[in-house]
Amino acid sequence: MRETFTKGMARNIYYGGSVFFFLVLIGLTVDTVKRLPATDNSENLTEQVAEGKRVWEVNNCIGCHTLLGEGAYFAPELGNVYTRFGESTEAIKAFIKYRPVEGIEDRRSMPQFNLTDEELEAVAQFLKYVDGVKTARDWPPNIQG
Amino acid sequence: MTTEELQLRRAASSSLFSLLNLTALPIIGFLMLLLIYKKTESDTLDRYYAMLGIKTNLVAAAALLLVTTLMILLGGFESVWTWVYVISYFVFVHAMFILFATWTMVRSWTGKKLTKSFLSK
Amino acid sequence: MKYESQGIAKMYFIAAIGLFVGQILFGVTMGLQYVMGDFLFPEIPFNVARMVHTNLLIVWLLFGFMGSAYYLIPEEAERELFSPILAKVMFWIFLVAGALTILGYLLVPYARLAELTMNDLLPTMGREFLEQPTITKIGIVIVALAFIFNIGMTVLTGRKTVINLVLLTGLVGLAVFFLFSFYNPDNIVLDKYFWWFVVHLWVEGVWELIMASLLAYVLIKVTGVDREVIEKWLYIIIAMALISGLVGTGHHFFWIGTPGYWQWLGSIFSALEPIPFFMMTLFAFNVVNKRRRDHPNKAAVLWALGTAVMAFLGAGVWGFLHTLAPVNFYTHGTQITAAHGHMAFYGAYVMVVLTMISYSMPLMRGQKAANETAQKLEIRSFWTMTLSMVAITLLLTGAGIMQVYLQRYSADPLPFMVVQDELATFYWLREVAGITFLIGLFMYIYSFFVKGKEVEDVE
Repeated sequence: MRETFTKGMARNIYYGGSVFFFLVLIGLTVDTVKRLPATDNSENLTEQVAEGKRVWEVNNCIGCHTLLGEGAYFAPELGNVYTRFGESTEAIKAFIKYRPVEGIEDRRSMPQFNLTDEELEAVAQFLKYVDGVKTARDWPPNIQG
Repeated sequence: MTTEELQLRRAASSSLFSLLNLTALPIIGFLMLLLIYKKTESDTLDRYYAMLGIKTNLVAAAALLLVTTLMILLGGFESVWTWVYVISYFVFVHAMFILFATWTMVRSWTGKKLTKSFLSK
Repeated sequence: MKYESQGIAKMYFIAAIGLFVGQILFGVTMGLQYVMGDFLFPEIPFNVARMVHTNLLIVWLLFGFMGSAYYLIPEEAERELFSPILAKVMFWIFLVAGALTILGYLLVPYARLAELTMNDLLPTMGREFLEQPTITKIGIVIVALAFIFNIGMTVLTGRKTVINLVLLTGLVGLAVFFLFSFYNPDNIVLDKYFWWFVVHLWVEGVWELIMASLLAYVLIKVTGVDREVIEKWLYIIIAMALISGLVGTGHHFFWIGTPGYWQWLGSIFSALEPIPFFMMTLFAFNVVNKRRRDHPNKAAVLWALGTAVMAFLGAGVWGFLHTLAPVNFYTHGTQITAAHGHMAFYGAYVMVVLTMISYSMPLMRGQKAANETAQKLEIRSFWTMTLSMVAITLLLTGAGIMQVYLQRYSADPLPFMVVQDELATFYWLREVAGITFLIGLFMYIYSFFVKGKEVEDVE
């Protein structure tokens, strides 16, 4: 290491660089949040959808599935399941409702969550809302997620 | 600069270009290695590292370019298994060569050659 | 051990290793569930095993970071820890709260756990890695504040070295960014955006400061290289980590409904993220090569070198593999992600904690280094775990390439579950590697109890 590049210079690059790029990240965050209404489908973010998000969370669906590619990789992507199931909330509700309690022998099994009709409708509406988010390049690449 | 310092500088340059040939400056890095080799005299530290760089990159070219081309030719461009092997193999083997070249570069900075074990002086 | 309070690290390290064993037991459980889908169903469904596996990982690493801080900060600050009793009390609070949380995951359905812990008052449950009940999260904040107060007071009233200041910065950053886990908006895009302010700014941000400072500390101790040199390298490394990693957060904002400019910013900045890891490799290689002493703790030197190399491979190389938006469009949320995640976490964070434990445990037991037989076993355990992890990563990479080809890239894509069946061979082999990893871990633990010829301290 050359003597011309001192510890003090390194320290200044660290302080300067970190502060600068942290401010850039904040600036970009402010800009992103401002632009979100154009893509985030928030016009369809009803009370029922919010309740559906809660159902999604307290049953830990993300523990097996991905949502917009994020989550666990054990079970299918659900960000586009509304489209994949023929744009049918009934089909989504039926799938969740009719999971066998004891699972399917030798297959990856989804629990029976014993959701009420209200909860089923809410989580289906939540998944329909997520499907409506305008992702860049219309991710995922195809219907299979 | 003394002869020893010049040799040390060339040894460090050689190993840097060896690493660069594997990463950001393919071909150019190799040409630089050949140019440095020509300037070196036999049985010196800088010749050792220039030769090491040349050998490393020739082996890497065979391992990375030749072998993967053979994999694609033999396995078929359309077959998924070809890509499973080619991508995994390339990423792993390329990374191993980069690590080796990094170690030799660091070693060249101390003015010593490579030894059998990492932890020997 | 120069200061008596450094010994508090021992209990933290023992807890860390115990939780690590738990983590891996649940890991091999999940590995089996990947191929025997109804294994332990419905008593321990996959998602429960997963949250236990990931939460144990995070908690044991936190115990490891805290133990490392309690060990090195008194020595660096040249004074005893501000409050040893606070450190001991917090240890038990954290351990009990953590154990209760894990038991909660295992013994009651998650929705019931949410009810019992009054999640409705401030709903924060149900997101990946942040499955903890809100009350547990509040507990974590309290433990973190007490911890930072304790080591903060120690540093501020003692000698401020670059190492202990960088470590302190990293730990404060860890605590501050954890607060984002309390922000859980109904808007799914906002939810996802700020979730990464915890996860990315942790593991590709402030945790790198923690890792770099711990590695620098051990390298000073085992090589005897001049502190000035090491501290300069440390500044350069963390500068590159934050310069690349802050805007590099954008590589998580490609496909979640955020503006398109993130595809450019995220790709360019995150492509630079391997640089600090490459520098750590260069740094570790260099100081070991230029060392002024042959430290009798050969195992610790190997762990230190291994940490730099595996972090570079797992976080740097495998991260780069899928960080560019055009590639990530096809690989997002596949086994490629899992491959990178496993090697990155192991290389960067698991290994740096094991390096600290390897270095400090003998000292806390009154020796310079473990006996020859113990070190040999420890070194064998290093190779067993590390090569097992390389195998796991290569196998999941292979699985991921096939998954991308069949499910994402093909003109006639196959459904998810059909593709998973095609990957079975990869998963079975991965499970074998997982078992050998567990064996390596048991070897590592056993090395602390094995007797043999004591080493002499050769200066």
